Amino acid sequence: MQQISADVVIIGSGAGGGTVAKELAPLCRDGVRTVVLEAGPRLRDDEFTGREFEMARTLYVDGGGFLTEDKSMTLAFGRAYGGSTVVYTGTSLTVTEPAIRRWGVPGLAHDDVLRRSRKYLGENHVHLLDVADLNDNNRLFADGCRTLGYRVEQFPLNLKGCTGAGVCNLGCPTGAKMGTHRVQLPEAERQGVTVVTNCTADRIEERAVVATVRAHTHGEPSAWQPGEYRISAKAVVVAGGAVGSPALLLRSRLSASLPALGRYFTCHPALILVAQHERPITNYAGHPKSYYCDHFADSDGFLLETCMYFPFTTAKSLTGFGADHSRMMSAMDRLQMILVLAIDPPEPDNRVLVDRAGRPVVRYAFTEQVRQSLVRAMRASARIFFAAGAARVHAPASSRFFIEASEAGRIDDLIPTSGLTLGKVAIASAHPMGGCRMGSDAATSVTDAWGQVHGVPWLFAADASLFPRCAEINPYITIMALADRVAERVRGRLPDLRASTP
Amino acid sequence: MASLSSPQQALLRSLAARIVPAAAALGTAEQAEMMHLIAEALSDRTPEVRRQFAAFLTLVRWAPAARYGRPFDALAPERQDAVLRYLQDCPVQLLRAGFWGVRTLILMGFYARPAAGATFGYTPVLDGNAVIHAADQR
Repeated sequence: MQQISADVVIIGSGAGGGTVAKELAPLCRDGVRTVVLEAGPRLRDDEFTGREFEMARTLYVDGGGFLTEDKSMTLAFGRAYGGSTVVYTGTSLTVTEPAIRRWGVPGLAHDDVLRRSRKYLGENHVHLLDVADLNDNNRLFADGCRTLGYRVEQFPLNLKGCTGAGVCNLGCPTGAKMGTHRVQLPEAERQGVTVVTNCTADRIEERAVVATVRAHTHGEPSAWQPGEYRISAKAVVVAGGAVGSPALLLRSRLSASLPALGRYFTCHPALILVAQHERPITNYAGHPKSYYCDHFADSDGFLLETCMYFPFTTAKSLTGFGADHSRMMSAMDRLQMILVLAIDPPEPDNRVLVDRAGRPVVRYAFTEQVRQSLVRAMRASARIFFAAGAARVHAPASSRFFIEASEAGRIDDLIPTSGLTLGKVAIASAHPMGGCRMGSDAATSVTDAWGQVHGVPWLFAADASLFPRCAEINPYITIMALADRVAERVRGRLPDLRASTP
Repeated sequence: MASLSSPQQALLRSLAARIVPAAAALGTAEQAEMMHLIAEALSDRTPEVRRQFAAFLTLVRWAPAARYGRPFDALAPERQDAVLRYLQDCPVQLLRAGFWGVRTLILMGFYARPAAGATFGYTPVLDGNAVIHAADQR
């Protein structure tokens, strides 16, 4: 095992790890050695092909189909230089004041999160797309919402030079998405931070990380040769996401007692509804996610977003099989899609565990509240589709494959609560949160309001695992804001940590 | 294709013909590509998941014998559909999830073939904005 000495080791290079790396990078001038360990590859520009199978397999853990323990839901999270920021759609919302109030973290004020969020909105070139570049799939959603009196807003997006390739979730083939792989990590490297790709953090020991570098199969070779490493550090920052970070801490031998570690996992459980129009529409050309509707967030606990997925992802999201399924899939250029997301409560028994081999296991039970939210969201989505002129709608929990426009008045009957059968209906999540939640009580939280793990002064978390409850919005800007706070704390503590390290 | 045996491939072809009827009309090369994608996806999973997949395929093949006296691949299409509908709506969540997993792999094998998109109206281009602007002109 090779021995490496560093000052700061950051595990993960996504919204959290990439932000911390960039914020600490100026310290390189003073001799501070910062290393980022990233499990995924660093693809060359020409390797972003937009091909569904190839990109999903390369850029996501388990190809985007990480199954929960009871196999009722799949989780999609990235594994690449840039983490999940390589495979999101770039939607850049700031967390609301009520959401931060509900988090209830002493010492964490909305003003502070908002100020830091705005810093990253600027850094990531966030803006609204020109409406002339919005496709029919998005416009029809907005039209349908407005016809029904539902509040609908355009997503701010972190794009620069977007040509509308439409495959954001497979990694942008034109490099237009301003994730950490385009903004924060290159800047950190320019200042002297080392990013080690294809490197899995196996466990954390006392002021050290044990990690393995694998031979590369895609992209650039890793900065380090394949093999096992023990990297000693003054400070360790875990930013491997809400599944990876708790799992890493669980398989490490930490001296502190952390009863809340892995618990209170939330994820905005989501479903896709698909409608068919009688004529072709523009849908997979152009940015896929331009509008959202939070009209029902407070009253019914769900959000609606436009989306446009790829053939396989679309096919697996439909319930059923055979002739009807094929009929829906036979003309992708006539499909309109809506993603529904439930605002799920933090439950101590919804948690990340590790199996005997140390691999993460996510145990998640759907509360009645979440089930009701998903059903109401499907009904609202069906109304939006029909208000936008769709000929027929497929709702995954419907009692029949198609709901025809002539049946629009019977939506509540045709999408019964009982139709949401787990294991039959495709439920997925791309917003894993919690597991290392912030708070002041070590019995119910894992870190303080600045991301320091309770009882371990040299160990920090800086990703969505910090969220005490779900964000109620697409989370990446909030992750960056929290990571900015963590970086500030690490920077402030580093002189003491360096002095106290044996 | 080490992770799929010949009997497994044969059963998957039978299943695919019911799940995506057009799969039955695929040529030899397309069938092979479909099986290749399924095998590749399985090879990324843990040994435990691969064992569960193999066990579920065995169940799908032989469970119908208890009711119909024949394995799945020897049943008439209507009875095959009935078996699949039973599994899809089965009271036991683990069996529902097993069917969902096999169905997902077959859909992946069929719809994730890069050359197949044009047959179902999916032909993405890098300059999607130009497609939008051209459509708006019409």
